[in-house]
Amino acid sequence: MTTIAERDVALVDLVDKLLGGGVVIAGDITLAVADVDLVYVQLRALISSVATAQDKQLLPRMGGAL
Amino acid sequence: MIELYAITDDPGPPLPDVAGLRLVPFDGLAAVYTPASDAELSPETLWRHEEVVEALMADRDVLPVRYGTRLEDEAAVAHAVGERRDELAAALDRVRGAVELSVRVVPAREAPRPPDHGETRSGADYLRVRALAEAGRSEAAHALQEPLAALARATTEGRPRPPELFRAAYLVERGAVDSFVAVVARLQGANPALAILCTGPWPPYSFADR
Repeated sequence: MTTIAERDVALVDLVDKLLGGGVVIAGDITLAVADVDLVYVQLRALISSVATAQDKQLLPRMGGAL
Repeated sequence: MIELYAITDDPGPPLPDVAGLRLVPFDGLAAVYTPASDAELSPETLWRHEEVVEALMADRDVLPVRYGTRLEDEAAVAHAVGERRDELAAALDRVRGAVELSVRVVPAREAPRPPDHGETRSGADYLRVRALAEAGRSEAAHALQEPLAALARATTEGRPRPPELFRAAYLVERGAVDSFVAVVARLQGANPALAILCTGPWPPYSFADR
């Protein structure tokens, strides 16, 4: 598996976490629902390609060190 | 406008020198922010945001804030944090010393073929055998939850999106990340029909608001 594919796998998680996680502090989050949908549409190809392009693989972390 | 990244303890170590970070202190907590950018939503802007939160996470506990949280100015931040000060402090305590690991399970690219019993040639037989194999994979995927959850302080299961069979996030002590990864590797070895996609350590996004 290439580094780019690893990053794609992590991107799926990144979008889920950033757009769906985190503590909600103020009521007005500027990110429109339409924007979120757009990101998911862009990601759909990546998400579905994971099953075909991905062999059994353990992914180490994507960003900085602990 | 300013954009929030995370809630941390105050006082804390000096802010990392990335993205011009600043903080608004409030009664033992600090909200970390930058001036809001006009960058359009893209994988790159999401990664940039993530890198900032990870830089903070490198040497302090963080309660990540929902992406896209923007407020008018520091006074608005202090007001927003002040309204929920105790709740936020409790949430920060819940994730203290821990990071998030993500696990998604999909069928392996070359899943072992179901045993061929010679006469299973009709379309119906083929579909039945394939359905059995799929059910077996799904069951195997969900069987991963127990050994993984045993290593976590908390777990949250998400709704799998096809072709995923299983997805979950784990809140894991920083010192237990290597053990968790070792267990993932062992489970992967024992389940060749599955691909276990494990990423992290992430800031504890999935455990920030519960």
